[in-house]
Amino acid sequence: MKFSLNWLNDHLDLDDLSVSELDDLLTFAGIEVEGIEVRGAAIDKLVVAQVISSDKHPDADKLSVCQIDAGGDDPVQIVCGAKNYKVGDKIPLAQPGCELPGGFKIAPCKMRGVESHGMMCSASELGLAAESDGLLILDTDAAPGTPFSEIVTADTVFDVEITPNRPDLLSHLGLARELAALTGRELKGLTAHHREAGNGSSPAPTDTIEIQSPDKCSFYSGHFIRSVKIGPSPDWLKEKLEAVGLRPINNVVDVTNYVLHETGQPLHAFDLAKLKGGIQVRLANDGETLTALDGESYELNSTDLVIADSENAQAIAGVMGGDDSGVTETSTDILLEAAHFTASGVRQTARRFNLSTDSSYRFERGVDPLQTLGASALAVKLITALTGGQADEQTLIAGEVPEAPAPVTFSHDACRKLLGHAIADEEIDKILTSLGLERDDTSWKIPTWRLDLIRQVDLIEEVTRVFGLDNIPSRTLGTYSPASKEDKIFAANRSLRDQLVHLGFCEALTIKLISETQLADDLGKVSKSGLVPIRIKNPISDDYVYLRPSLVPSLLSVAKRNVNMGNSALRLFELGTVFSASPKGQEIEQANLALLITGDREPGSWKCPQPEATNFFDLRGILEALCPGQKVQINPITPQAGSCLALAAEIRLGKSKVGICGQLAPARARELGLEAPVLLAEFKASALTTVRESSRRYADLPRFPASSRDIAMEAPSDLPNGDIETVFAKIDEHLLESFSLFDVFTDPSGEKLAADKKSLAYSVTYRHQDRTLEQAEVDQAHEKILAILSKQLPVIFR
Amino acid sequence: MLDELSAIQSDALSAIDSVDSETALEEFRICFLGKKGRLTAAAAGMRNVSKEDKPAVGQKLNEVRKTITGLVEKCTVELAALKDAEAVAGIDPTLPARPLTQGAGHPLSQMLNRAVDTLHQLGFAIAEGPEIETEWHCFDALNTPQDHPARNEKDTFYFDSGKLLRTHTSTVQVRTMEGVAGPPVRIIAPGSAFRRDEIDATHSISFTQLEGLYVDRDVTVADLKGTLEYFFHSIFGKDTELRFRPHFFPFTEPSFEIDVKLHAAGKTSRWIEIAGCGMVDPAVFESINSQRKDDLFSPDRVSGFAFGLGIDRLAMIMHGIPDLRLFSDNDVRFLRQFA
Repeated sequence: MKFSLNWLNDHLDLDDLSVSELDDLLTFAGIEVEGIEVRGAAIDKLVVAQVISSDKHPDADKLSVCQIDAGGDDPVQIVCGAKNYKVGDKIPLAQPGCELPGGFKIAPCKMRGVESHGMMCSASELGLAAESDGLLILDTDAAPGTPFSEIVTADTVFDVEITPNRPDLLSHLGLARELAALTGRELKGLTAHHREAGNGSSPAPTDTIEIQSPDKCSFYSGHFIRSVKIGPSPDWLKEKLEAVGLRPINNVVDVTNYVLHETGQPLHAFDLAKLKGGIQVRLANDGETLTALDGESYELNSTDLVIADSENAQAIAGVMGGDDSGVTETSTDILLEAAHFTASGVRQTARRFNLSTDSSYRFERGVDPLQTLGASALAVKLITALTGGQADEQTLIAGEVPEAPAPVTFSHDACRKLLGHAIADEEIDKILTSLGLERDDTSWKIPTWRLDLIRQVDLIEEVTRVFGLDNIPSRTLGTYSPASKEDKIFAANRSLRDQLVHLGFCEALTIKLISETQLADDLGKVSKSGLVPIRIKNPISDDYVYLRPSLVPSLLSVAKRNVNMGNSALRLFELGTVFSASPKGQEIEQANLALLITGDREPGSWKCPQPEATNFFDLRGILEALCPGQKVQINPITPQAGSCLALAAEIRLGKSKVGICGQLAPARARELGLEAPVLLAEFKASALTTVRESSRRYADLPRFPASSRDIAMEAPSDLPNGDIETVFAKIDEHLLESFSLFDVFTDPSGEKLAADKKSLAYSVTYRHQDRTLEQAEVDQAHEKILAILSKQLPVIFR
Repeated sequence: MLDELSAIQSDALSAIDSVDSETALEEFRICFLGKKGRLTAAAAGMRNVSKEDKPAVGQKLNEVRKTITGLVEKCTVELAALKDAEAVAGIDPTLPARPLTQGAGHPLSQMLNRAVDTLHQLGFAIAEGPEIETEWHCFDALNTPQDHPARNEKDTFYFDSGKLLRTHTSTVQVRTMEGVAGPPVRIIAPGSAFRRDEIDATHSISFTQLEGLYVDRDVTVADLKGTLEYFFHSIFGKDTELRFRPHFFPFTEPSFEIDVKLHAAGKTSRWIEIAGCGMVDPAVFESINSQRKDDLFSPDRVSGFAFGLGIDRLAMIMHGIPDLRLFSDNDVRFLRQFA
């Protein structure tokens, strides 16, 4: 919403305040200043001029030599660097002797040998804008030579955001009233017409005005003005409207717009000649159409309130007038409408048509119910003065004038208690009184324009706002809070993140919505779950349709983007919510952790020019690092058809399955443009953090030396190592401390070893807790183990 | 005999010069001091020496043995020193690194951790709530009018079930007050919120928020001010100017927006909006009571303040990040800038 400082000055003396002081004043009133525009400039020797010709400078590519009509007998020669004008354009010309803002003085000079007698100016050179691109091209009828100050009056326009609770500030009078209260200045320039009907009002006969939907329009007034002469508005009126961004139309429409911006009351003028019969305020018929002033045709329904004559809808109540009955140059008799439409009705219609007009904007937020007749009277007075029209004696009214707001009970103690500051009764009273409230013991009468003051807390807010938070000392008190369950989860997740960062991982945070195609990358789908992904009812684009059921789809997108950018060695993780629904529709939110590794195992360097590509066993190493002290079991599973994994395994800790890991299917990798193997894992974060947070117990460090024996065995090449480990793990031999695989050998050629066999080498460690082992007992234990292995597995020892 | 000993000594003295390795030294030692070495052999000849010559020859023998042993010891030390010098000889420490893979926490996680740490210091505990929410928790209970634009399908993501993706973390205020035994409540709720916006440099469909709520007897505007001043001074430095600008939110009254004055290098300092806050609106407490079916959160018994801040915005300001999309692109070169 735009406010002209000149206009505000009609009601309040603000001349002594600088623009930045005004900015602060508005800001601390709760009115956010979004922009400040300077209009016009009172600069001597700055005139309107017209470009007659423009030729290239003989000695400078970037300059032109122009002949300019500046109102004198002869053209003036100007050398200019701008390019955005054409012959015939009017521009501001600073003549010799002119001093521009910033102190730059214009004098005749030679530029690259060509004389120049002044400067054609840009908006920024005139102080009208912070930055500008090229000359200020003037849209003016003014003759060359007219002083610049005469075409646009100097003014400052504030573009501000009015919060929805303060519709009373949506007018110049309203804002002036607020600023007067905040600065203790006197409100001026108020005429009787601002609040009262001119010569009174009388009930309208129902064949003139009839309200058929009192729940959507409680009060309607019409004033007949005849024999008006439609023409352009006077300059003062045009200037005011232009300052707030409106285009002047004619002296009647301009007055209605002026009164709206002056008082906040929307008005509408009908061309009486176009109305058949009296005004009916009624619901539209389903399917009824109306071509509005914007030229668009609107199809109405029975929830829309319209202003109709005896035949057709002529205006969408409170939103926009009809094209047919609008005031034009040929109008002679008019009917001026000032009414009170309910906020919800106007809002519903305006929203449905996606229309926001100056009128609907105000009705939706709330209009002072008691100023309807005053605004009408003000408009009638101006229209008759400007058009020579004859107004009826009285305004015709229908319906009931809405009631004034109810008084509010207010306790000074309650106010002090919420503020936490001992502000005196007198100070509180002074603030509330300045805002137009009237005290009657503990009850306060609310001004009719303050629709937002309903409860005690609304008054406390006013006191706080005007008193200012700067004047309230800060306090930091409060009980301690015991750590919550969520605090512990936050800390556990943080430690998990930290460890991954230490392991060289970068943390990704992706948007939690994914496309339908990306669902194919859901790692959870690898195993059955019965859960379904959750779809957005009103997605904003195809890229964001489902809540992610897995973190992997987004991590793959991140990998793809990085590889495209040349970051081919990746260690990525994300820890965040995934979503799914049970078959019964119950939403499940769960924090997952996903890992993705691909590309070189270490950054290439002169020391390691061709690093090895990362593989599944690097991923296993990471999984083990994340679960210190735990046996991380990897149980291979067969990926379902269409799964994004070619190699898949369940990750188990103890008896519980905590996640899935595997290698991305080469076909999917190709689609994504990922050349190196991509290893993936996804867990339920809590399964991992529970294990990580479990308390550790000290175990005595071994004091006696261990003995080790190697086993070399030949096994069928399809015998999983896991089967051998399972047998090892079940051996009951108290001297057996640990076993580890240290070599795997295969020979596809079959020369050194049959092609369907593999040779595995294990190192087995024996130790006794209380003494050094003797060779004989180690041999005995080892024999026992070899016997068990060969009995339970299809292996032979070499 | 004496002459022979002198010859051994002088041979040893000249031979040691050509010893240039541990192997050569060992050969030298064996040659002179070994079981079949020349000095050992000479010592064996002592029994043939006449009684009267024995003291002189014995003395000479000891002297020569001492000299040769000394030579071996000295040479051992010299060779070790030579070897030690070779261990690092020829290493050019100015050659480039063999780099490690650099990990990095996401700047939003790091910013959130900082914010949470600061609020933990003040005695707030973390609370959580679901991201798929009911209209009640997202709007109704927070005093949002039925026809408020935020409820529009144009601005908010909905599901067929009628539920929605929460548009703010303020939902956790409601859930916490509904669920706890009673006041006091002193919580922060970090998490995602969603808006149905077109994605560009300053808009996204999801962002990370941090909500705060403190409800107890006699919580005042002064507490609100003190808490948020402490917070922003911890984050931006204690000399950073702050201002509380009156504003409007349906769920707080009075309400404020907080601006910090920031000085970017080479630019004039300016106020930047950073958070919204206010005293919990009595209507919110009434909603809570209607759900709880008690009056422990009656506005006559308790008061409270709430605040909400955008972690994305905080991180952008903190690091000078110009475009929100950098956060969701997750380019590792970007992420490693904050390692």
